Amino acid sequence: MLPRDLSTTPSKYLAVPGTQELEFRRLSSSQLSGMPQFPRRSSRCPVTLSAPVLPARPEGQPSLVPAPRPAPPPNRTPTGLETRTALRPFPPHRVGVTVTVRRTKDDTWKADDLRKHLLAAQSGSPKEDKKHREKKLHKESEMDLPEYREPKHGGPDRDSKYRERPGERDGPVSRENPHGDREREKRRERRKDSRDRDRERHKEKHREQDTEKSHGKGKDRGKAGDRGAEREERGRTAACAVPPGRPLLGRAERETRAVSRVRTEEKERRDGDPERGDEERERRYRERKLQYGDSKDNPLKYWLYKEEGERRHRKQKEPDRERKHGEKSSTREKREKYPKEKSNSFSDKEGEERHKGKRHKEGFQFDEERRQSNTAEKERLSREDLKRRESKDSEHRNRGASSRRDPIGSREGTYAENLVRNNGKDKDSRKEIEKEDIDSENAGADEYTACFEDDFEDYEDDFEVCDGDDDSFNELEPKEKIEELPLARKKEIQEIQKAINAENERIGKLSCRLSQKPGLLEDENSSPARAPVCGIFIDFATASRRQKSRTQALKQKTRSTKLLRLIDLDFSFTFSLLDLPPVNEYDMYIRNFGKKNTKQAYVQYNEDNVDRDIQTEEIETRGVWTQHPGEGTAVSGGSMSGDPRDVAAAPKVDTPRLSSFLRAACQVIAVLLEEDRVGAEPSWGPRTQDSTLHISDSSSQLNTSLPFLQNRRVSCLCASQVQRQTVVSVHGPPGAASAPVLDCRYVLCVWDIWQPSGPQKVLICESKVTCCCFSPFKAFLLFAGTVHGSVLVWDLREDSRIHHYVKLGNCFWTFRTATFSTDGILTSVNHRSPVQAIEPISTSVYKKQSFVLSPFSTQEEMSGLSFHIASLDESGVLNVWVVVELPKADIAGSVSDLGLIPGGRIKLVHSAVIQLSDSLSHKGCEFWGATRTLNVKFLPSDPSHFIVGTDVGLISHGTRQDLRVSPKLYKAQQPGMRPVQVNVIDFSPFGEPVFLAGCSDGSIRLHQLTSECPLLQWDSSTNGHAVTGLHWSLTRPAMFLAQDDMSCIYIWDLLESDLGPVAKQLISPDRLVAMTVVGEAEKASGSFLALVLARASGSVDVQYLKRAWAAPVGDELRKLRLLFQEAL
Amino acid sequence: MTSSTPASFSMGTADGLPEAEKNAAESENTYILRPIFQQRFRPSVVKECIHAVLKEELANAEYSPEEMPQLTKRLSETIKDKLKEMGFDRYKMVVQVVIGEQRGEGVFMAARCFWDADTDNYTHDVFMNIPCNM
Repeated sequence: MLPRDLSTTPSKYLAVPGTQELEFRRLSSSQLSGMPQFPRRSSRCPVTLSAPVLPARPEGQPSLVPAPRPAPPPNRTPTGLETRTALRPFPPHRVGVTVTVRRTKDDTWKADDLRKHLLAAQSGSPKEDKKHREKKLHKESEMDLPEYREPKHGGPDRDSKYRERPGERDGPVSRENPHGDREREKRRERRKDSRDRDRERHKEKHREQDTEKSHGKGKDRGKAGDRGAEREERGRTAACAVPPGRPLLGRAERETRAVSRVRTEEKERRDGDPERGDEERERRYRERKLQYGDSKDNPLKYWLYKEEGERRHRKQKEPDRERKHGEKSSTREKREKYPKEKSNSFSDKEGEERHKGKRHKEGFQFDEERRQSNTAEKERLSREDLKRRESKDSEHRNRGASSRRDPIGSREGTYAENLVRNNGKDKDSRKEIEKEDIDSENAGADEYTACFEDDFEDYEDDFEVCDGDDDSFNELEPKEKIEELPLARKKEIQEIQKAINAENERIGKLSCRLSQKPGLLEDENSSPARAPVCGIFIDFATASRRQKSRTQALKQKTRSTKLLRLIDLDFSFTFSLLDLPPVNEYDMYIRNFGKKNTKQAYVQYNEDNVDRDIQTEEIETRGVWTQHPGEGTAVSGGSMSGDPRDVAAAPKVDTPRLSSFLRAACQVIAVLLEEDRVGAEPSWGPRTQDSTLHISDSSSQLNTSLPFLQNRRVSCLCASQVQRQTVVSVHGPPGAASAPVLDCRYVLCVWDIWQPSGPQKVLICESKVTCCCFSPFKAFLLFAGTVHGSVLVWDLREDSRIHHYVKLGNCFWTFRTATFSTDGILTSVNHRSPVQAIEPISTSVYKKQSFVLSPFSTQEEMSGLSFHIASLDESGVLNVWVVVELPKADIAGSVSDLGLIPGGRIKLVHSAVIQLSDSLSHKGCEFWGATRTLNVKFLPSDPSHFIVGTDVGLISHGTRQDLRVSPKLYKAQQPGMRPVQVNVIDFSPFGEPVFLAGCSDGSIRLHQLTSECPLLQWDSSTNGHAVTGLHWSLTRPAMFLAQDDMSCIYIWDLLESDLGPVAKQLISPDRLVAMTVVGEAEKASGSFLALVLARASGSVDVQYLKRAWAAPVGDELRKLRLLFQEAL
Repeated sequence: MTSSTPASFSMGTADGLPEAEKNAAESENTYILRPIFQQRFRPSVVKECIHAVLKEELANAEYSPEEMPQLTKRLSETIKDKLKEMGFDRYKMVVQVVIGEQRGEGVFMAARCFWDADTDNYTHDVFMNIPCNM
């Protein structure tokens, strides 16, 4: 209610300390003065002074500090500092603290108070005035009191309102104090609410005012009351000095030292002998009164002094303090009596006993002093005064410290306040801890005070506010005690203690709560203050350590903040310190390999040569190239040096020449081999003794004893006109079956007379071969005519594989069938009667023979196979065939050429047919029937002309083109037609236009081509035996050989005798069947003339005629012509 | 067999930071923020030092889990002391020693520092002790 009213002037009333003092003073004075209305208060006063109430305050007060404020200003003279330190019996660090504190305090007071006072005096504004007044009061409570009272007393009109109030209010207020205290406590808990705080302040201000009034009233009470009040105030101021945070506790502790002294006294009294304690208290109060009266009977002086300047004050006080200190030190010794009793009450900790002991001593000393003399009182008072100042100093200092400590904000400060206030109620144990802490703090605080002196000035006002605030709580408790004391001290004390205990309990809870909150919100600085709240155990060592560490940390922090501006810190790269990949199984195995009983080693052959891994021969390589197919001379080559030479040296081979050479060589060798064989087989070789005829020098026998030739009779012999040594023999069917394959077949054997051991080729034919001939230029084709009228061709070049292959005896024989046969084909033009003769028609042959000049050209023509074959059968049909060589052989056979053997290349094409019978029959010999044509010969000089022998003794002359020729007939010397067969016709091989004709009547005629009648005619040369064979000698033009059917051979030499044969040889007993002439005329030395004789037994002889008949005689042809001319 | 093959390796890292705290007795401000050139942290030298210590201590050491904590502490202390003797004046050293058993497992270790790149540095050394018991 009241606070509300006063709340209109909030801030100004906050300056408290002075007012509180006043109030206390008033209470104490009233009590001491023996005022009946308030006996309790008076009695209580001493209790509060000494009792735990006071100790609680020092913490409470600083907690009220709303915001951190620096300590009072720095400007200060160092005077007296040293002396003071010397005087004080505190530990060194504490000395320093006190010194600084004092300094600051002095300065603050000097500077600020003066200034404010001046301001107040000038402005005269009530608020300001009030404030200043309060300040003054607070500062110089003892001295001011009388002054204050007087003005109030003198000017009641001004304070009239208030004056009534003390009467009304004092009682209830004092009585309600316990409750009010509690309420305040609660409020404190809700401290954050500024309104509450304000309200409290207002209340307090009211109270202050009240106290002022009371002071005013109680001015008559005298100094005694003042003294009591002062004592209380001293305690309170000490309480006020309690710092808000831990660091601030030191000051409070310093204050509390004094307080504790008082309290210990009280306790002693209470514990030991309450009565005595009471007495003592009373006595003390009395003494104090006396002291006041003695020392400070003139408070006016102070007032005046104050106006002048504080310096004087201090000077006065200083000696007092010095005195006090000295006293303290002396009193300490006296107090040694009761150390233990109090130690229990104060704290459980042994470590603290020392401090307690000190205090106890002091307390005891006080008591003793008081008892002993009043003079001591004075000293003590002065000391108290000093203490109070100290407390103020410390307060400022604390503020300064707190402001320094709590730069973050006021919030922290409020927490600290709360804590401190709560702590303040924790009367017994707390103080000691705080003392310790503060001691340690002070060292640090000193520095800061020095630093922040300036700041303190600025925040002076706020301190006042806080002070007032704090005082408001603290003042009440003493009031209670003061009230109680006079009436029933014990009761009161107990009550108080109860209240205290309750408070303690509450505080304990509260602190617990707070300790959690701060833990979250406050930083390190405030936490140490919490620790003592929670626990009963106090660890000074850790606390100091913590304190130190905190300061250290702070220093480091500031330093780091400064330094970090200069140094850039950044994150480094991530360094890879170690990277061990996991080991795989094989590595593990190898790692463990050595642990087993094994060892790895190497062995090498040829151990001296370690540098060579392998000792082997080097492989030599050479690059060579080759070509496929290997045509040409350079088939392969390469890096070998010899190759190019080989290639270069490869001779240019004339392949055709080589092949011809090889062919010739082959023949030579074959002949040589044959001769060897003949030598081995005497029968084959030329024999002179038995088989050799007397007309011949030697003879040989062709080997007709071959299995397929046995029992075969030779029907015909034919020699090649070009290759004179080649003879073909036609063997008839065997008389007895020998070889089933060849039964009833005719065999033709091509012989080389020089190789009599065997035939060159063996040909077979189905029908009987009546005549045969070789191809004109090269004897590789064999033509034959059969009884059945067919013409056959054998190609002797054919591969033997396409023919029949028979193994007879030890040798393989190839039996060649005809390459082409006209059997069954070309029936319209083919012969219908047995073929009598077959002749090649080749102009070149005759050219060659007639004109020996150009053999090569004819040779080339012949190679082209440009020749015809003429075949004549009995009925006078002369067919002319063209020999055609197919460009390619067809193994599968030909569809169109049915007569061609599969794989054969030669075939005959019918070219022309000449009917000779017509011309012959027209000759008028009708009764003779049809004339048989027996043989045909083509004129060597002109192949288109031919002569045909007939069976009527006439030789017809004709041409292929039906041209008229003369003479048409060649007749014998005997006129008319006779049944004489012209068996043989033969042209002279030397080109003479004459031919011989042998007749069946045994006559031989020599005809010229130009005359119809014969040039010569020998009728009885053979004794009437039919001439079967007639051959011009190949070596001598004037010689010819004749054979009759009586197997007799006649040799004619026209130069020697043109009347009859020069020699006659009868071949018997093996009759001669067929005969042919072979011989070579060109070779002078090697010229020979041989007769191939086929005997009836089947053997074939070669009779080499004697050199006389074989070798030509010089100029023989001319002689022969002469002979002919003679015969004409 | 394989239980008797412990291999230990250790790694030391010395990390330098400018010393923040100075002696209380040293009142004068030197205004030296960084180490002078001669006292720069030289990784090669430090590495040699570390290696010497490791070699001396771990050459014949066998891994046993009970002893390793003490060994690591001792090693780190030894290394730190040796480094201090080398006179890196304005550095704060951090030595870290890790000892592990080598049984074929893969290990990867990395470090990262928050430092002043101009002056601070680090070095590390790995000592692998492969016991060959025949």
